[in-house]
Amino acid sequence: MVRITYVEPSGTARTIDVPEGWSLMQGATANGVAGIVAECGGSCACATCHCYVDEARLADLPVASDTEVAMLDFVAAERRQTSRLSCQIRATGALEGLVVRLPETQD
Amino acid sequence: MTFTFDPYSPAVDANPFALYKTLRDEHPCFWSEQAQMWVLSRYADIIAAGQNWQTYSSAKGNLMTELPDRAGATLGTTDPPRHDRLRGLVQHAFMKRNLEALADPMRAIARDAAEALRGRDRFEFIEDFSSKYTVRVLFAALGLPLGDEQTVRDKAVLMVQSDPKTRAKGPEHIAAYNWMQDYAAGVIAERRARPQNDLISHFSTAEIDGDKLDEREVLLTTTTLIMAGIESLGGFMTMLALNLADFDDARRAVVADPALLPDAVEESLRFNTSAQRFRRCLQKDVELHGKTMKAGDFVCLAYGSGNRDERQWPNPDVYDLSRKPRGHLGFGGGVHACLGSAIARIAIRIAFEEFHKVVPNYRRTERDLPWMPSSTFRSPLRLEFAVH
Repeated sequence: MVRITYVEPSGTARTIDVPEGWSLMQGATANGVAGIVAECGGSCACATCHCYVDEARLADLPVASDTEVAMLDFVAAERRQTSRLSCQIRATGALEGLVVRLPETQD
Repeated sequence: MTFTFDPYSPAVDANPFALYKTLRDEHPCFWSEQAQMWVLSRYADIIAAGQNWQTYSSAKGNLMTELPDRAGATLGTTDPPRHDRLRGLVQHAFMKRNLEALADPMRAIARDAAEALRGRDRFEFIEDFSSKYTVRVLFAALGLPLGDEQTVRDKAVLMVQSDPKTRAKGPEHIAAYNWMQDYAAGVIAERRARPQNDLISHFSTAEIDGDKLDEREVLLTTTTLIMAGIESLGGFMTMLALNLADFDDARRAVVADPALLPDAVEESLRFNTSAQRFRRCLQKDVELHGKTMKAGDFVCLAYGSGNRDERQWPNPDVYDLSRKPRGHLGFGGGVHACLGSAIARIAIRIAFEEFHKVVPNYRRTERDLPWMPSSTFRSPLRLEFAVH
């Protein structure tokens, strides 16, 4: 299990033990976290699982694929340096304790 | 008696849910002798496997009973990076924001199909409504020439079936598949000769970094899109109609307030998943629940079971309109999550909005339904309703 803290749009922080190998999107949707839509189900085709990753931990994440970078053009909320699609981030030991913030809107 | 799970059995076509519960509780990593593959039935295991395409490969096919010479040439039967290259060409057409132009044509088709039911006190949902709607919607979406609709629909439904006795595709299923490939080839040739601004034109003339898609990819991806657009969409509409016929409170609620239809769609995707089982092929040995699955073994991901897993869903066998089951496996998950999920959600909502305006109250007339023989998909072949 990898401990991930999701900060919902309301500001509520939800700390979830996400099984290793799941995506951060799946950890959120399977546990009722608000602020992620994930319309496409995790195939990197809709940009509605947008999240902001803790800046200090950016280097712990694998770099975004070309598909993810292209899809980030379609996020509904402001795109920032720390923007990622949570369906493309797999929970691994390197992400223990990661905080991700969910935007005001996804569509 | 030794427990068995045979995905080819007509009993599984009709009702797999009690067997799924035994699988989840007692055999969460089960070798099915009849299917010659492992079966994963718990939500958490299916999510993890779906996410891990490096180990659980789709390149040897994703249908439980794969069609000949199809694996490796479609979105569902390739792994990244080949998969991503194919999908890059088609995914924009399937994004929600790019589908809005289809809403008006869909509504006109739905209204037309629903009006034909006005005044009838009995009808067969598939023949009299859902198949008319899905075929015409797909033809509109892909810009296909009208005229062959009924044959295209019959072949699409036949090619996904399997023979319960031989546990393989029968000659009639292969013939339907070959017919569909010939049909797709004709459409592709026509579009190449006279390109239009539509998906098949773009796809059949596409080059990626100077690298053209090979003919098999173009042909079989088009064939698969037609199959999914008709059979999968129609099969799911039938399951949603069945649920709304059986659960009066849910039907009355969505008829009174059509804004609740999306909640019914999501709950039916969970409760009666039409793609019950897909398969993967292991690229290395995996230890799970005390069993060792070997590299090269096939593994069934039983989405329909994960969607009833009490470890994930409270009271999973209750149809609950207020559940809002986020993260369900009704469209699969991970890199191979259904490409058509957005268009399916829009098409189904519009179809039922119009259907309910003409037929707000209906119930099924047969207790036992004729279920399609298929190791992968689950839906009835006929669903007769009485209007009340």
